[in-house]
Amino acid sequence: MIARVPWGLLVFVAALFVPAVGSRYHTFVAGDVVIWALFATSLNLLVGYTGLVSFGHAAYFGVGAYATGILMKKLGAPFLLAWPAAGALAGACALVFGFFCVRLTRIYFAMLTLAFAQIVWAICFKWNEVTGGEQGMPEIPYPDFGWVERWGARVPLLGGWRTSEYYYFVTLVLVAASLFALHRIVGSPFGRILTSIRENAERAEFIGVNVRRYELAAFVLAGAFAGLAGGLFGIFNRGVFPDFAYWTKSSEVLIMTLLGGMGSFYGPSIGALVLILLNQQIVSYTEYWPLVLGTVLVVLLFGFPGGIAGAVGALAGRLFRRLRSA
Amino acid sequence: MPDPSFVFAQSLSGLTAAMFLFLIASGLSLIFGVLRVLNFAHGTFYMLGAYLAYQLIVWLGPGPGMFWLAALGAAVTVALLGGLIERVLFRRLYGKEELYQLLFTYALALILSDVAKLLWGTQQKSVSRPPGLTGSFAFFGATIPAYNLFIVLLGPAIALAFWFVLQRTRAGRFIRAAALDRETLGALGVNVDALYTWVFMLASFLGGLGGALISPMRATVPGMDTEVIVEAFVVVVIGGLGSFWGTLLGAVIYGQVLSFGILFFPRFSIFAVFALMAAVLIVRPWGLLGRPLR
Amino acid sequence: MLHVLTVFLTALLALPLVAEAQKPIKVGMPMPLSGPPALFGDPATKGAQMFVDELNAKGGVLGRKVELLLRDSKADANEAVRVARELILKENVDFLVGTLTSAEGPAVSVVAKENKIVFIAPIPKTDQLTAPDKLHPYVFRVASTTTIEGRSAAEIVAKWPVTNVATMSFDYAYGQDVTKAFVDHLKKVKPSVHIVDQQWPKLGEQDYNPFINAQMAKKPEAVFSSIWGGFFVTYSKQAKALGVFDAIKYNFIGVGEAATPETTKSMGADYPVGIWGNSYDAFYWGETPAHRDYTARLSKYLKDEYPSSWAIQGYIGMQFLTEAIKKAGSTDSDKVAKALLGLTVETPIGPLTIREKDHQANRGQLYGKTVKDPKFPFAIMKPVVYVDPSRFMD
Repeated sequence: MIARVPWGLLVFVAALFVPAVGSRYHTFVAGDVVIWALFATSLNLLVGYTGLVSFGHAAYFGVGAYATGILMKKLGAPFLLAWPAAGALAGACALVFGFFCVRLTRIYFAMLTLAFAQIVWAICFKWNEVTGGEQGMPEIPYPDFGWVERWGARVPLLGGWRTSEYYYFVTLVLVAASLFALHRIVGSPFGRILTSIRENAERAEFIGVNVRRYELAAFVLAGAFAGLAGGLFGIFNRGVFPDFAYWTKSSEVLIMTLLGGMGSFYGPSIGALVLILLNQQIVSYTEYWPLVLGTVLVVLLFGFPGGIAGAVGALAGRLFRRLRSA
Repeated sequence: MPDPSFVFAQSLSGLTAAMFLFLIASGLSLIFGVLRVLNFAHGTFYMLGAYLAYQLIVWLGPGPGMFWLAALGAAVTVALLGGLIERVLFRRLYGKEELYQLLFTYALALILSDVAKLLWGTQQKSVSRPPGLTGSFAFFGATIPAYNLFIVLLGPAIALAFWFVLQRTRAGRFIRAAALDRETLGALGVNVDALYTWVFMLASFLGGLGGALISPMRATVPGMDTEVIVEAFVVVVIGGLGSFWGTLLGAVIYGQVLSFGILFFPRFSIFAVFALMAAVLIVRPWGLLGRPLR
Repeated sequence: MLHVLTVFLTALLALPLVAEAQKPIKVGMPMPLSGPPALFGDPATKGAQMFVDELNAKGGVLGRKVELLLRDSKADANEAVRVARELILKENVDFLVGTLTSAEGPAVSVVAKENKIVFIAPIPKTDQLTAPDKLHPYVFRVASTTTIEGRSAAEIVAKWPVTNVATMSFDYAYGQDVTKAFVDHLKKVKPSVHIVDQQWPKLGEQDYNPFINAQMAKKPEAVFSSIWGGFFVTYSKQAKALGVFDAIKYNFIGVGEAATPETTKSMGADYPVGIWGNSYDAFYWGETPAHRDYTARLSKYLKDEYPSSWAIQGYIGMQFLTEAIKKAGSTDSDKVAKALLGLTVETPIGPLTIREKDHQANRGQLYGKTVKDPKFPFAIMKPVVYVDPSRFMD
């Protein structure tokens, strides 16, 4: 019953109203959540669906952010070209790195993804001429919204927003489309094969699945979508910086995924929402955000390994059963 | 060809960095080898060692031998803390999925580093070199700081002591056995739980000692843990996770690549280190001197 | 429909505006408050806070109190941008005064430009901050610049009896710019000089040994360093152990404020006494009554016999902002920005003017050779000279 409600659509429509109802600050936070939701969901394709624990997913986020940033700032490319390029380039990197990574298992897989991510970080950090090095690349231009303004004069509701609000709408639509695509992927036969690899790779191999090839495909897809998230984030963040690819970013997104729940498609998005809201609340009171985050994580790992989505799902299931038996 | 005295000085500075990394990474490798957990919080133990050494020096005041007392005290305190953490929390992780282990140790690192921030604030702490090792001497035209030389000699000494314990003592045999087969060892009547605690304490001791000994050379600051843990990962991966001599080799390679890297590719020596790590994982995932896991 | 709702909500939000006159003027200050850069960032916020406390005790400006909102920027451009946006969007600050590194400054400048909020940079020196292509109506700087600093240092080094000079700087905007300004100017005033080596460790490097060895192998007679803040403490400890200062006979100049009382104090006996360095301020300078008065107040405020030399930058930044608000008679950023152009303020180190053409104050620095003085438990610059920047600015 609960599953039949089109939650995704409802949330999307609600999110559309944020700039109208809330302040600039609310729109800012909502934009942050939306982009991180895509980033975390892309990671979940690997961790949750395929069972591959990547500790270097920030690499692809960073590649995407730099790709869009360099194309738009230095080469003056339009957003419509620069954003897909982020996904394509991140996907290409994921193909090269993933080719080697999927040959390894477990801890070695995690370590190799970390090594590749640190390579990407080192390049972003040191290649001053192209990436701006240490100080990054501030002032990535917003996409051109002039055409919207022109149309806005004639179509009601379309005109009169701030640039950052237009960008929020664009982000929202693109992320929704990406999440929809990811949803279709995990629901397809391909997605089911990934799940069977997670459950038991040997059995999957036995029934004729080329496990490595499927894992690589998942790796590339996850990387490409992370790149798309990065491309959006660089503009949102008003600058691209080498920390985007640093290993602590990889662990942040992993925590989000786990917090929301790896077992469900929307879990990572919930994780992004909760973690960002929590962060925004906590940092106004205390500078000890890592302490809070660490404690939340420990409680989660020992108490709710299924994450928020898992816990809520279990609770809802119990309620539902009680209602039926009553 | 640069002149030999420079090559000598440069390799010695690489070796000094290597010995610190060896102290830290050997603990990391030991925990992985025996407990099968990759401990992200190990870098934080190193940071705590540095802060505790600073604190003890402040309390003990200047005086001959006080630095050494402080360093030892710091390492022992970190070891005790490590033992406590293993008993209370770590223990629940054995046999769980890697993801949970990694994230738990990461959470631990977050918590402990903030505790350090609560206790010592955010300003950097600086410790003077111990009296007697403040000077330097000329050697074939190169200037060698006495403290660096001491570290370069101390590293192998600790390695040998370590090797002796592992190879020649009863406890060492148990540790090696535990790394191979925990169940059988337990069935033979060995208290594996206690053994794990001791291993964890020994590893924490090494991490804390590394931090304490590095404090006179570098600044003790928040964030030094996240940097060092990645370096330690590189070292153990190159040498071989769980391999003792591999860790030493990995540390030496790391130090030399960084030292000489700045001559040939000044900008990209950090890059070279991670590229090396990736290359080793691709060609020999179990590391140069490690053995493949079952 | 939506617009009706928006108008309604805006009206609702605007209601408290009636009480505007009593509300404090909010100034956001992103500044590194942790790690080695905090050695400079933390005291700068204290100076700003002292100015604000004194101002508020006198009734504030335009009848309103000033409220300072501090945020740790962690000396990281990304983090600085994040907290600056948070300050603007969530805390609704009226102005930004802050940032320390030359990576943070230009990044926050972009945020200020987009949000049309006056941003006064009290510490970042990179020329890129106010370069013609980066300049916008809302960015101002009361710090020195890399051109001023590099050229001032070059004039000093040119007088030394040396020809082979080496440089040691962090590989980012500040290090690159100040080193270039130094080298270019040195070659101009003393063409016989030869740059034998340049090392570029990464910002925040902890192990300088390989860089120092490589540099000393080129046998320089003098070294120019722009390693700053707490990083200089680490660098010079390692350089001292490797015998650098003895080898070059203390022909060493440390810009990036290597001779501030903070640095010499925190290093105590480990400080390489005899090198040249600079500083924004020094409590022992005492040239003018205004400076002596400021130092006495600061000493009381910080409860420190030897008060910080960095407090002045936060102090001056806030001083310029308040004077401009007064002159504009408004807290509107556009009006305050106009008021800042050509504004002259009597600061504790003398009158400073923000130029109209590049929004840059003529901020010079103190230079001197460090010596041991029996009056103090740490090294000081003696004689200490304020180098007027006007001839180095263009």
